[in-house]
Amino acid sequence: MANYSERLDGIFQALADPTRRAVLQRLSKSPASIGELAEPFDMALPSFMKHIRVLEDSGWIQTRKEGRVRTCGLDKKSLAAAEGWLSAQRAVWEARTDRLEQFVTAAPRKK
Amino acid sequence: MMPMPPFDAARDLQISRLIKAPRSAVWRAWTDAASFEKWWVPAPAKCKVQEMDLRPGGAFITQISEHGADFVPHLRACFLAVEDLQRIVFTDALVAGWRPAQQPFMTAIITLEDDPGGTRYAAHVMHKTRGDRDKHEELGFFDGWGSVIAQLAAQVERLS
Repeated sequence: MANYSERLDGIFQALADPTRRAVLQRLSKSPASIGELAEPFDMALPSFMKHIRVLEDSGWIQTRKEGRVRTCGLDKKSLAAAEGWLSAQRAVWEARTDRLEQFVTAAPRKK
Repeated sequence: MMPMPPFDAARDLQISRLIKAPRSAVWRAWTDAASFEKWWVPAPAKCKVQEMDLRPGGAFITQISEHGADFVPHLRACFLAVEDLQRIVFTDALVAGWRPAQQPFMTAIITLEDDPGGTRYAAHVMHKTRGDRDKHEELGFFDGWGSVIAQLAAQVERLS
């Protein structure tokens, strides 16, 4: 459980930056090379690479090298996890409300 | 009365349910510790209310026992508002006496309204997002990631 929430920390923290969000949005369309991804940003390559590493370490993207070109692709598992924690909380509260409803409608009422 | 805070789809959840019982019965199920213990956690887990001090700043502490094991801490919170038959607000961002808590996660607003069919019961639960960020980034962060996730999800659905 601790590991899971640590991983979630990383997933959400990675989104705390406009450059990284833009990269993810670009990658949601198709995989792309580092060069393509860096192009819209007025940023030195080493700085851009730091963002790529944050995205990779947090599990948002996977990169692979073919020859001299490194290609990045979205890793859908993080998306599922990011959507998942709120869905999980919702499930807890839905079930809790079911039980409250059941309790209130089944219990004989005291004056 | 404080107005309801706006709903933030990225980190809030909202539940609204029509319960076929009078408001007083729903209120009692929530505010009577023995009743509360019967529905707060899913069976076979058991809930024990250690403190339910129903007033602003009052302690709200529960324990849980799963698989017949010993009771362990579950909720450690503080009431922010308790309005008779209408509203209960509590948060685990604070403990009793409004002392800041170690690991804030959520604030819940429970509201009860009369309805021709019984009681309109609503829970609005607001979560802290995970991850440390400096204050400066906070707003942009919150505004940004929810929409990103939504957009990503839409794209991924289209692709798969």
